[in-house]
Amino acid sequence: MNRILHSFVLETGAELLKAFRAPEFIFPTLGMPVAFYALFAIMLPGSNENAAGLLATYGVFAVMGPAIFGFGISVANERDKGWLDLKLAAPSQGFSYIGAKVFSTLLFSSISLIIIYLAAGFGAGVALPQSTWAMMLCVHLLATFPFILIGLSIGFTCSGNAAMAISNIIFLALAALGGLWIPMMLFPQSMQTFAQFLPTFHLSEIALFVLGATGERNIVYNLMCVGMMSIGLLVFTAIAWSKQRSH
Amino acid sequence: MDNSPPILLAQDLKKSYGPVAAIKGINFSLQGAGVFAILGQNGAGKTSLIKCALGLEKVSSGNLQVIGHPPGSLQAKRQVGVILQDSDLPDLLTVREQITLFASYYPKPFSVQQTIDMCELQTFADKRYKKLSGGQKRRAQFALAIVGNPQLIFLDEPTTGLDIEARRNMWAIIRQFAEQGKTIVLTTHYLEEAENLADRIMIMNSGVIVANASPNDIKKQTTGSVIRCETQISVDVLQTISGVSSVVNAGRFSEIRSADVNQSLKEMLNLDPQLSDLTVAQPKLEDVFSALSQGDQA
Repeated sequence: MNRILHSFVLETGAELLKAFRAPEFIFPTLGMPVAFYALFAIMLPGSNENAAGLLATYGVFAVMGPAIFGFGISVANERDKGWLDLKLAAPSQGFSYIGAKVFSTLLFSSISLIIIYLAAGFGAGVALPQSTWAMMLCVHLLATFPFILIGLSIGFTCSGNAAMAISNIIFLALAALGGLWIPMMLFPQSMQTFAQFLPTFHLSEIALFVLGATGERNIVYNLMCVGMMSIGLLVFTAIAWSKQRSH
Repeated sequence: MDNSPPILLAQDLKKSYGPVAAIKGINFSLQGAGVFAILGQNGAGKTSLIKCALGLEKVSSGNLQVIGHPPGSLQAKRQVGVILQDSDLPDLLTVREQITLFASYYPKPFSVQQTIDMCELQTFADKRYKKLSGGQKRRAQFALAIVGNPQLIFLDEPTTGLDIEARRNMWAIIRQFAEQGKTIVLTTHYLEEAENLADRIMIMNSGVIVANASPNDIKKQTTGSVIRCETQISVDVLQTISGVSSVVNAGRFSEIRSADVNQSLKEMLNLDPQLSDLTVAQPKLEDVFSALSQGDQA
């Protein structure tokens, strides 16, 4: 047991080292969310009024990068290069490969969230009760999981090069069309309808609900949609994983 | 032989990918330490065999056992190390970091430093994998294959793409492990490599085993020597000379395989006293290989 734990710690450490040594990963995952938040919630004139609402949606944006890029591109690359096969041929625990990535992704998401929370609290003057900050953190961290499943779906089905392109497209599309950058009510009706099919929309609605933002929302419906999408993705990744393990 | 299970045992082993049969029912049993080379052209079934033995691919039918365990089982994996063909390690981790991680998978690994010393990685152990030369990368991969102190090491084309010095370097390290009592299963299409390293050679062609013996015994399977010379005698006539089994034109030279070199040469010199640049060579493994792995002669 001790040995498995030791191995898991080393595995997670290796994931973190790989991530921190890759500027092309650090920038979109840690830099971009806070840069966008600063622009839209702090610097643009009049943006300050909605700084709290934008915190809810940019928090979802902040956890999306580490999950989609960390899993999509890295798993696809590691499959391509035979690294995953080498691990499966070694007596490593299958779950520790995924587990270590989940762990390091959550750590990255947390760092990304803390940066954006600090920008909101000190830069934009967002003042919330401590319990609301805590609840928001929980929602944002849990929001990582559907994105991990999206990343895994890409990682298990695409080649390394394709995964790079597809991850970027999905990342940008989910953010823009799910209303993470610009509030959904500013979108035309047809795009608002389309957003119902995106997990980003529902997750940001849940975060806005926790924040107590104005506007009507059906939180049960949002939770159900996220749950169903997650189950669908989970089934998809489980099939892809079992295909990976036995050709 | 003692009573311990064979290191690798295949009984009527078959593997197909959809309608394509990669391995068509092979049988062999591998015992004891040493280097065992599997030779064959691309598509012969070498890599499929290794992937099945590692549990990365499922056997279609028949039996395959790795040190008495089913392939891919934890007991088997703990006694096996591997260099996979065309595989690479993560670019951004140092060699030492990768070895440390891999060592943690095994119950009784070598220490990280011991591994670095054995594979002679000292000068680049703390460099990131991305920055290594081709030969250094392969040695780092070899370190991961052996760090768990396995009994059986699979090396799938370990020297492909390496220059001659890096290749000789790998050979020395592989040899050293065989001498420590390990079994090394090596696939290659470099005959020189098999000839230099292997205690036993198995030649595969289109999914079947066409030869399985020591390098010397395999060479003996092709009888006769090769006479090489420049001569005016036509191929048709050469083929009628006694002892001659085959004739090949190689540029201005003729290569004549003969079971009775003395008699053949006498007749040839009678027919063509101007015959020049004469050499007589023992068959090389390469000749055996091309004979066995091309047609259905075997």
